[in-house]
Amino acid sequence: MICRTPIGWLLQPFSGAEAQLGIDLLRLSLLGGLLGLDGTSVGQFMVSRPLVAGVFAGWVVGDPVTGLAVGAILELYLLVSFPTGGARFPEGATATVVAVGVATALPGPGALPLGVVLGLVWGQLGGLSVTLYRKANTRLLPQAGEALRAGGLGRVLSIALTLDFFRAVVVTTTGLIVGLSLLGPLAAAWPLDEAGSKALLVAGGATSAGILLNDLGGLRARKAWFAVGLLAGLIGVTLL
Amino acid sequence: MRRLTRGTLAATFLRSFFIQGVWNYHTMLGAGFAFSLLPGLRRVYSDDPEGLEASVQRHLEHFNSHPYLSGVALGAVLRLEDEGVDEETVRRFKIAVRGPLGSLGDRLVWATWLPLVVVASLVLYWLGAGWVWVTVFFLAVYNVGHLGLRAWGLRAGLAAGRDVAGRLAAARIGDRAVRLEPVGAVFVGLLAAVLLGGPLGSADGGAVWMGLGAAAFVGGLVGGHRVWRPAAAGTVVVVVLISLLGVLR
Repeated sequence: MICRTPIGWLLQPFSGAEAQLGIDLLRLSLLGGLLGLDGTSVGQFMVSRPLVAGVFAGWVVGDPVTGLAVGAILELYLLVSFPTGGARFPEGATATVVAVGVATALPGPGALPLGVVLGLVWGQLGGLSVTLYRKANTRLLPQAGEALRAGGLGRVLSIALTLDFFRAVVVTTTGLIVGLSLLGPLAAAWPLDEAGSKALLVAGGATSAGILLNDLGGLRARKAWFAVGLLAGLIGVTLL
Repeated sequence: MRRLTRGTLAATFLRSFFIQGVWNYHTMLGAGFAFSLLPGLRRVYSDDPEGLEASVQRHLEHFNSHPYLSGVALGAVLRLEDEGVDEETVRRFKIAVRGPLGSLGDRLVWATWLPLVVVASLVLYWLGAGWVWVTVFFLAVYNVGHLGLRAWGLRAGLAAGRDVAGRLAAARIGDRAVRLEPVGAVFVGLLAAVLLGGPLGSADGGAVWMGLGAAAFVGGLVGGHRVWRPAAAGTVVVVVLISLLGVLR
């Protein structure tokens, strides 16, 4: 059948599943851009934390349960990574959107670990892109001898926010394309079952919980408090 | 305050959410600080366009603070500008407060409040709470503290002006962070239990994974932040190796 409209022509070579994948890619990329803004530039309401970003990304592709599973594991890893001052930190928002997009699209129990691992790697690249963006922001401001009039402040802010949005969109899109095009065969051949795959990821992430206890005063100073929590938790999981 | 209306202060508060909008390594929050102050400066310099432009140039200069506590400096500077305090005093004031506002905020928010709420939310998840509950709990509890701190900061700065250091000391922000640390330790204990012993954590994968998880926890406890990157990289390497093993089999 010959399509009469440009949109119909554009969509014609794709099957229904491929078109849906393209739409999901677009939605997730835009979501990555929006959540990336919350990381530093706008508000910091923490919708950019993996726990929340995972649910949002999962919701966009129709699977918030997997989104939360991916977000919770990435949150565990990034538990001790916070946007302090000028330090470079892994970018959780874009990393989580990439991880959820990949984990919900790939088949089998390997989807979760491969998605999370891609998220960990992409978080580092996202952090690098934030550093480059911040360097670019310097050029938006008046250089020595120049003046920025009051009326120009809003324009500078708009340009900076637009740059940050597109930075996060590009980071998310490239992560999704890399993950979806390279990880399929690895997911299909993944040898562990679902329980083993989750346990592997949790075991690695437990390091962050130890680091956090260290930050909160260390085991020696907080051993009674930690023991209370540990005991309560063990009783809770036994009863549940 | 002679010229600052409720509307002006509300606009300053809303604009303070964009204070890091032009974050850069040269002036850090400088541009966002000037942008947030602008509604107030327009009122103060309503009859003096040149004074307004000069004031904006001064506030574009380097400034840094924790974003949630930046309202303290915004409120105090607005008051100083409204009182017609000379520019050198305002500049010295900003230099004096930026360090404490940064370190107090980092300690209270990034090092204590955020991890505490995150860990509590993760405990909920690993105990089996659904995605709606976990998300709503995290966002609601965290942002009560976040928005409360921002609103308190702007009010405290406006009320105290150049004496804001006394207001900060009276608020005992550092002490509050220290008091939250034991609560955080309880939640880390809870998290360790549900991660290693809970059915959704390592326990379902068997004793080997539980043992590895416990070892990783102790490693983090002993090694601190320097072991984070090796641990994350180790997970990546293990997953890649297992994948390749699956392909070659």
